[in-house]
Amino acid sequence: MKIMKNITILIAAICISASGFGQVEKGTVLIKNGTVLTVTKGTLANTDVLIKDGKISQIGKSIALPQGAKEIDATGLFVMPGIIDAHSHIALDQINEGTNAITPEVFTGDALNPFQMSIYRALAGGCSMSHALHGSANSIGGQSQTIKHRWGTYDAEALKMEGAPRTIKFALGENPTGHGRRDGVQPQTRMGVEFVIRKAFSEAREYDAKWEAYNKAKAVKGFRGAPPTYSLRLQTLVDILKGNIILHCHSYRADEIQMLLKVTRDFGIKRVVFQHTNEGFKVAPEIAAAGAMASVFADWWQYKLEVYWSTPYNAAILVRNGVVTSINSDSPDLIRHLYHEAGKTQKYGGLSDDETLSLITINPARQLGVEARVGSIETGKDGDIAIFKNHPLSIYGVPQYTIVDGIVRFDREKDAADMRIMVDPRQTVDATLYETGHAHDFCMQDTAGLFESMENENK
Amino acid sequence: MNMRSRIVSILLTLLLPLSVLGQDEQVLAPVTRTYAITNVNIVQAPGRKIDMGTIIIKDGLIRAVGKGIAIPADAIVVKADSMYAYAGFIDGLTRAGVNKPKEENRDRVKDPGNPTPERAGITPWNDVRFSLNPSDKGLEEIRNLGFTTAQVVPYGNLFPGQAAVILSGGKGADDMVLIGKSSLYSELTGANNVYPATLLGVMAKWRELYRQAAISKSYEAMYASNRSGLERPVSDRNLEALYPVVDQRMPVIFKSERLLDVNHVLTLKKDLGFSAVLADVKDAWPIINTIKASGAKTFLSIDLPEEVKKDEKKDKKDEGLNAAAKAENEGLEKRKAEAVQQYAAQAAAFQKAGVVFGFSTMSAKTKDIPANLRRMIAAGLTEDAALAALTTNPAQLLGLSDRLGTIDNGKMANLVISDKSYFNEKAKVRYVFVDGVMFKMDVKETKKGDPNAKVDIEGTWSTVTETQQGRADGKLTFKKDGSNYSGKISGGRLPSPIDLTDVSLDGNVLTFKYSMTFGSNTIAVSGEVTVDGDSFKGTVSFGQNRTAPIEGTKDPKN
Repeated sequence: MKIMKNITILIAAICISASGFGQVEKGTVLIKNGTVLTVTKGTLANTDVLIKDGKISQIGKSIALPQGAKEIDATGLFVMPGIIDAHSHIALDQINEGTNAITPEVFTGDALNPFQMSIYRALAGGCSMSHALHGSANSIGGQSQTIKHRWGTYDAEALKMEGAPRTIKFALGENPTGHGRRDGVQPQTRMGVEFVIRKAFSEAREYDAKWEAYNKAKAVKGFRGAPPTYSLRLQTLVDILKGNIILHCHSYRADEIQMLLKVTRDFGIKRVVFQHTNEGFKVAPEIAAAGAMASVFADWWQYKLEVYWSTPYNAAILVRNGVVTSINSDSPDLIRHLYHEAGKTQKYGGLSDDETLSLITINPARQLGVEARVGSIETGKDGDIAIFKNHPLSIYGVPQYTIVDGIVRFDREKDAADMRIMVDPRQTVDATLYETGHAHDFCMQDTAGLFESMENENK
Repeated sequence: MNMRSRIVSILLTLLLPLSVLGQDEQVLAPVTRTYAITNVNIVQAPGRKIDMGTIIIKDGLIRAVGKGIAIPADAIVVKADSMYAYAGFIDGLTRAGVNKPKEENRDRVKDPGNPTPERAGITPWNDVRFSLNPSDKGLEEIRNLGFTTAQVVPYGNLFPGQAAVILSGGKGADDMVLIGKSSLYSELTGANNVYPATLLGVMAKWRELYRQAAISKSYEAMYASNRSGLERPVSDRNLEALYPVVDQRMPVIFKSERLLDVNHVLTLKKDLGFSAVLADVKDAWPIINTIKASGAKTFLSIDLPEEVKKDEKKDKKDEGLNAAAKAENEGLEKRKAEAVQQYAAQAAAFQKAGVVFGFSTMSAKTKDIPANLRRMIAAGLTEDAALAALTTNPAQLLGLSDRLGTIDNGKMANLVISDKSYFNEKAKVRYVFVDGVMFKMDVKETKKGDPNAKVDIEGTWSTVTETQQGRADGKLTFKKDGSNYSGKISGGRLPSPIDLTDVSLDGNVLTFKYSMTFGSNTIAVSGEVTVDGDSFKGTVSFGQNRTAPIEGTKDPKN
């Protein structure tokens, strides 16, 4: 009988909690009396921030608590914008469609997994948003999805940041050439990478011309004629050429960065963000001049030869040269302490607090094209907030709350041992046993099988 | 005269009629296609019941249902005293009855980025009717549980081909088919090491093919209306196979076990607007409302995770742990048990939400199915709803309500008859009718017999075996050699006596085996009878699934 009752309650709870496809939950919360690090408008002592229905509606003193709203006493705490990671692969069931050099038609938004613990762990590091990037197994990888860490949803669609611009992943250097060498196809060298990208865009131009001609002819009454063959691949490239997709490019070396700048200039592509950009410090003025941006590691390098030339001054040099720069994680581990990663850059490069915080807030927001919505604490922006005990750039900084759209998604006080949303009854989980392996690069995930023949050849 | 008919004519002269040799042969038609099932509790439909009534079946159709119905003179009477009759069950998605391709689709390809459509798993033109096998063991297994109808699909990944709704028995592949091209089958899984290898590529390829099909279909229509001066449309069997989907004349059925699989299907449906069927759904209870709002038809998996048993080995391992770790382990185990319970409660949740759902057996272990249904009922699914999910709902979802799903006059004679209410733990299926053809189940009654009984079986017994073709007489002779028995079977139309093997007597339960060889065919026969003094009663089983009652009396010693 008791079981029956529990089940009934369970079913009732299920029916209530289920929401429509892609619907986003928004909340109201008043954060009282904190030190507010707005990032764009300075630091405000003993200030309240009111988030109403998911948006920051008021910043000031003695704001009244709306009826029924949640209040967080932030006295002695630091209130900053939710941290944004411009390069991550969390919340993805699949990262690479690495079977072809060119796969712009694929989309990581199709493989989102809202149940991955990495989302909650990122929240525990104050990170409210990330860029769920395709991997770097091919020269033109897949379209990527900007996600909000709405932990608790059962709907993969609800992770998508509604209205965020489309983005796509390109990759240069050794990751994409591995594919070519394996299969005996292009690209097998850096020259090949440039060639396949140029070839792809050239084909896309022809494709676009064909469709434009067809659509124009079709508009005339009584038109009779065959349509061109539809290609989602070429259509996506056309969308890049038309400026509808922000290009994010995996790159390490200065020469390949220069190469892509030339290619994008030749094809009139304006919105370019370099990812990793380890040798960005060598070509910072060129990147700035092209209006491109850079998303870099604080101090992660030398895990392969092409990332030999690197420096912890990279971010600071790029910033000083006027490049919009962010610090990213590319790792479910580093994403939990991007504030430390930013802090390292401050230590080496001597950036100001606001400049440093910009690296993990407003700058990644600019790189994702969502700076009008997130990345700073300003009225009208999304209610995405991280609240820290001690300054986030201090080694003693500890996230206490992470709020997304006015909903508290992480609360250190309510951090239960088992935060899983869906439990797989066939899965065995051992107590207090967690993965201790060093964080590794997820850029090449799902591609191991593809490299079997190469490994065999090398033996 | 071919080989098969020669074997048949030999068998006809023997003691045992052919029909008991396994239904694969299906050579002899029953003497009549009229049956009267008498004294049976008829559950006509969920919530509609006739106590101790009669069902008349003729020529594959139900001709009368009710009380006090006259039994036609040519009817085989099935005395289903106090048994329960239900409409035959309908399985929403399975591969039972479908031949598995011998070779896996994993050849190395020169350029993995540009494989042939076949290598990429794109064969929507394929039709499961080319791969049907009426004597498939899996089909027999689900039929033995009462499934008389099933939607079957070809093997493969992205677009394996078109589904068909089939009967779980028939003379041949075509004879089994109720609806050909019932839907297009799709799994959102990638090809092995070629494009599209991942979900990412699969989703993109799905969209591209669908849009290409829509464009090419509309151009073909323009071309058909006036061909003059227009380029000839290039024939593409993959795109052509998608036309009925684009037209919403054919739904796409997806294996979508996990909640996220359901999400992916609904994403495609939303993007492209075709009619989708979710099948073998296992853990989608949190998104019932989303599914409901999408209008996608749903078949829930009849598979359930195993119930959590106490793991003594692990308990022992846990002994050395500190209190915190122990508590954590307990918490993990508790959540696991809760999750198992949620799986069992999925059907109840769908019932509560008012979703019309059926079941699919695709990934279930057949032997677990009755127990799984009981677990779902224990978790809140009503028996009526469980029955509806096995009968009326799938009939509705597959567009078969006019023919299947209930026991009503004029419907197809697809029935399942169990000795107790189907959902009773001790219930056994006794008869299954598929398209008016009776399958009688071998019910191994656990006749414990009397272990202390003293019986003497030595000597010769005159036996009578009742089969569909009538009565066959024979002789069984047993001899004791020390503590073992040996024996022979002879008489009737057997050309010469056959030695028995494995004769054993346990109390008063006598079992024996022998095999008959005809050309290349060998049929294993086993008998189990309970001896009472100078007589016995029991059953003999022929091959896998044919049984006949046998009775014997001991000949007086000369």
